[in-house]
Amino acid sequence: MKPNDGQPGLYLHIPFCSAVCPYCDFSVMRVLVSARRRFIDNLVAEVSIAARDWREPRPFDTVYFGGGTPSLLPVEDLACVLDSCRAHLALATPAPWVFLEANPEDVTPEACAAWRGLGVRTLSIGVQSFSDDVLRFLGRRHDAQQARAAVEAAQAAGFNTVSLDLIFGLPGQTAEAWQRDLATAVTLAPGHLSCYQLTIHPFTRFGARLARGQLSEIPEEEKADLFDFTHRFLADAGWPAYEVSNFARSSDQESRHNRKYWDHTPYLGLGPSAHSLAINDECPKGTDQKKLAGIRSRRADVAAARRWWNDLRTPQWERRVAAGERPVEGEELLGPRALATETLMLGLRTTAGIDLDGFTMRYGLDLLAANDALVANLVNEGRLVIRSGPEGRRLVPTLSGLCVADGLAMAFDLPLQR
Amino acid sequence: MDHIRNFCIIAHIDHGKSTLADRLIQQCGAVEAREFRDQILDSMDLERERGITIKANTVTLPYTAKDGRTYELNLIDTPGHVDFSHEVRRSLMSCEGALLVIDASQGVEAQTVANLYLAVEFGLQVVPVINKIDLPSADVDRVMEEIDRDLGLDPFASIQVSAKQGSGIDGLLEAIVQQLPPPKGEPQAPLRALLFDAQYDVYRGAVLLVRLFDGTLRAGTHIRLMHSGEEHRVEEVGCQRLKRVPVPELSAGEVGYVLAGIKGLSGLAIGDTLTEVERPAAEPVPGYREAKPVVFSSIYPMATNDYEALTKALEKLKLNDAALIYEKDSSAALGFGFRCGFLGLLHLDVVQERLEREYDISLILSAPSVRYRIVLNNDSEAWIDNPTFYPDPASIKEAFEPYIKATIMTPERYLGTVMDLCRDRRGVDTTFNYLAAGRMEVVSNLPLAEVLFDFYDRLKSITQGYGSFDYELLDYRQGDMVKVDILVNGEKVDALSQLVHREFARPRALRYCERLAKTIPRQQFKIAIQGAIGGQIIARTTINPFRKDVTAKCYGGDITRKRKLLEKQREGKKKMKMVGAVEIPQAAFVAVLRTEEDEDGR
Ligand SMILES: Nc1nc2c(ncn2[C@@H]2O[C@H](COP(=O)(O)OP(=O)(O)OP(=O)(O)O)[C@@H](O)[C@H]2O)c(=O)[nH]1
Ligand SMILES: [Mg+2]
Repeated sequence: MKPNDGQPGLYLHIPFCSAVCPYCDFSVMRVLVSARRRFIDNLVAEVSIAARDWREPRPFDTVYFGGGTPSLLPVEDLACVLDSCRAHLALATPAPWVFLEANPEDVTPEACAAWRGLGVRTLSIGVQSFSDDVLRFLGRRHDAQQARAAVEAAQAAGFNTVSLDLIFGLPGQTAEAWQRDLATAVTLAPGHLSCYQLTIHPFTRFGARLARGQLSEIPEEEKADLFDFTHRFLADAGWPAYEVSNFARSSDQESRHNRKYWDHTPYLGLGPSAHSLAINDECPKGTDQKKLAGIRSRRADVAAARRWWNDLRTPQWERRVAAGERPVEGEELLGPRALATETLMLGLRTTAGIDLDGFTMRYGLDLLAANDALVANLVNEGRLVIRSGPEGRRLVPTLSGLCVADGLAMAFDLPLQR
Repeated sequence: MDHIRNFCIIAHIDHGKSTLADRLIQQCGAVEAREFRDQILDSMDLERERGITIKANTVTLPYTAKDGRTYELNLIDTPGHVDFSHEVRRSLMSCEGALLVIDASQGVEAQTVANLYLAVEFGLQVVPVINKIDLPSADVDRVMEEIDRDLGLDPFASIQVSAKQGSGIDGLLEAIVQQLPPPKGEPQAPLRALLFDAQYDVYRGAVLLVRLFDGTLRAGTHIRLMHSGEEHRVEEVGCQRLKRVPVPELSAGEVGYVLAGIKGLSGLAIGDTLTEVERPAAEPVPGYREAKPVVFSSIYPMATNDYEALTKALEKLKLNDAALIYEKDSSAALGFGFRCGFLGLLHLDVVQERLEREYDISLILSAPSVRYRIVLNNDSEAWIDNPTFYPDPASIKEAFEPYIKATIMTPERYLGTVMDLCRDRRGVDTTFNYLAAGRMEVVSNLPLAEVLFDFYDRLKSITQGYGSFDYELLDYRQGDMVKVDILVNGEKVDALSQLVHREFARPRALRYCERLAKTIPRQQFKIAIQGAIGGQIIARTTINPFRKDVTAKCYGGDITRKRKLLEKQREGKKKMKMVGAVEIPQAAFVAVLRTEEDEDGR
């Protein structure tokens, strides 16, 4: 949880999907061969453009192919992108940990072997469900049989981690159906599981159907019960949660890439819509150094950071990269208050919670003292615990705390300067 | 001077005073057709929205009578609601005559009687006007009988009109000039002008409305306010038509406005007398009886830094609302504010709304209270209207609460339910007698505290709108009062403490708790809301916490958006009052104040 300590992560966004899922609000599009070729060229080009400004000296120890559906790309394309990264950016030696998101229909023994050869160590399979009805409802192209086969193939291929994405809380999905999915997942014994409770976003097809009254959201009580059940079931089966939606069979199976988003470790994101974060002096050259220095000078030991993000529209992104520009759409400078807010908001989503002494040191604010009545109420309510260990005190959410993590973060007062 | 008639229109609420004023204004051609609107004198938004008159309003009308002479009619439209009877009083003092309006279908009601008594007390000539004769339910014969029996006026001197349709207005105007006396007064004598109303104009300062009893006033006159001693030079005098119209001079008997560039308001008090510095009058005009507040509540700005603005706003409002009294106050939960006295709950409501609208300040009000007399064990005496200062019960020897004599008029068929209502509200010595034509008068001695809250609304609903009521303060009687505190998660919210009769402590506390439970948003932990007397809990409710409030995904691209949302929500939180760690919105404080009737209505 100490920023700057961890090595940076590299994220590569592949916006292609074989179909756009009705619940997805990611930046995605359908693929054509020529479009794919052009995209890869541009992504390769962006690597060298971004490298000019990336000043963080430590090598990337994770590389994450996300999307979209990176598994749609031929292995040569992925290799081409990785080569470019190796050429222009510092990658950890002997090799960074490579993650790849894959659709079940793409996960064949041959593909797995090729990915392994590329250095992929975590294969994250978008299973979603083991029920054909649910998969049809979701508009997925695979069926339950394929999902199972994909997981088995991945496991046979010897990845360090096989991870399954599952979705629950769908309208019409019974609690029993979800229990069966979980039970199946557990029998397949992957190293890692991500279980996402459906959120209906307004600008998706589900959102539109919800607005038209063709879809109804399940009541809060039931949502909470499902969340609770999921966490208890998986913990009992040997997959304790380490974050709101993420479960691992052991701590070395936890996602060492995603963790960086939650503890302000620097990351560089390439491809449309990708986000990047740089800390303190490692901010890229374009950063308004005067403003950053101003933010920092108020407290010598306080971190300041800069986050920027690429244009999320693939054609615009392509046009700018092709012109040799950075395809950045927006950026923000994060001072102590914004960083502290994020530390709180993100920390409360993890079972590790928040390092209280680190928080005080970094932001000059004693979180507990500034919120004593609130913390007393939340501890009393069984939502938070204060845990003391050899590494100091931590503020840790309980299961019922995780279930309201967004609300918890809001309740805290952070009397800090911008 | 005999071409002047100063008169006011008085009546029970809703009998059509303002509508009648409209017809008189139109008949005298004082307003262009395109500028006209119904109840034109009800100029405040609040009055128009609620359809009631809150402030007395003055207008000067030219009228050419059948005798060929042109008269100057100074008309004052008054409010009918009990809470605003001080406005009626104020108006009566600057008039020689009054039109007593009676609704032809409702007949004589409680404020008809009360206002008639007031007019008589001030020595005014009264002309009864039977209004709304166009209604199918109008019963003029019965009303004539009531005028005779219940009011003791000559029914044959009454004028029948329909203010809505405009019939009978000619006859009424003639009656005004023939039956009402002109003012008396000496234009040559030293100036005596009664300051009976005022408002604040950002450009011109205070606008004083005056009735001249003696002397004259013109631009340049050097005036002194006889009570405060403040002196000013008059800049402009004029007539209050629908707009201000400057005139060269105001003279004895006339009503008009005075501008003197007065920006500091502390030296102005309604009821003061203006005289001339060089030639002062010996005696001021007998002033008003100070309005006696009966309900007290503390007002706090929602945003603590609005306190200064509130201070200024109250000063200006006081100029326009002489019945409002206030002094500094403070609360642990709500910070600095003012303890205010009101003439009733409607008055309180109006003050709050006017402050919020006219001065744009969001307010929180504490629970209203009457004023109690407490005798301590050491025989010293204390007057307490603020629960915060209620002494330790162990130190109290005896407590006394204000009683009123309520006079209720109702059709005979509701007698039983009205008697029950009085009994439920701890009424004693309840008697009744017959009035004209199947109508009854019920007189009951009631604790003021029980009448304040929703008595009038209850009465209206159990008599299907036919019951009416008036009251006067009677005396103080022994009562078994307790202080009920409201606790939110164990912390006392001082602004919600209240003094109640022991018998009603539990239901009242429960009602408060339930209303808070409905208006305080759910939070991340369970909130206990309790009502307590001393250390003893007498009522409780709980607000269950959120169960699910987290989104599934939070990766690189989600963080900024999520943080911004959180920051925005946190801004919204600033508009809440924190008690312990519980966020209480303004609406919660407001909801607690609400009467049951309001609640059903929503
Ligand atoms: N049918 C009929 N309705 C009338 C007449 N005069 C007034 N009204 C109605 O009675 C209602 C009350 O009229 P107002 O003129 O506001 O009564 P008010 O006495 O000024 O009321 P307050 O100022 O609140 O005491 C309105 O809805 C009027 O339209 C009338 O002559 N005939
Ligand atoms: Mg009116």
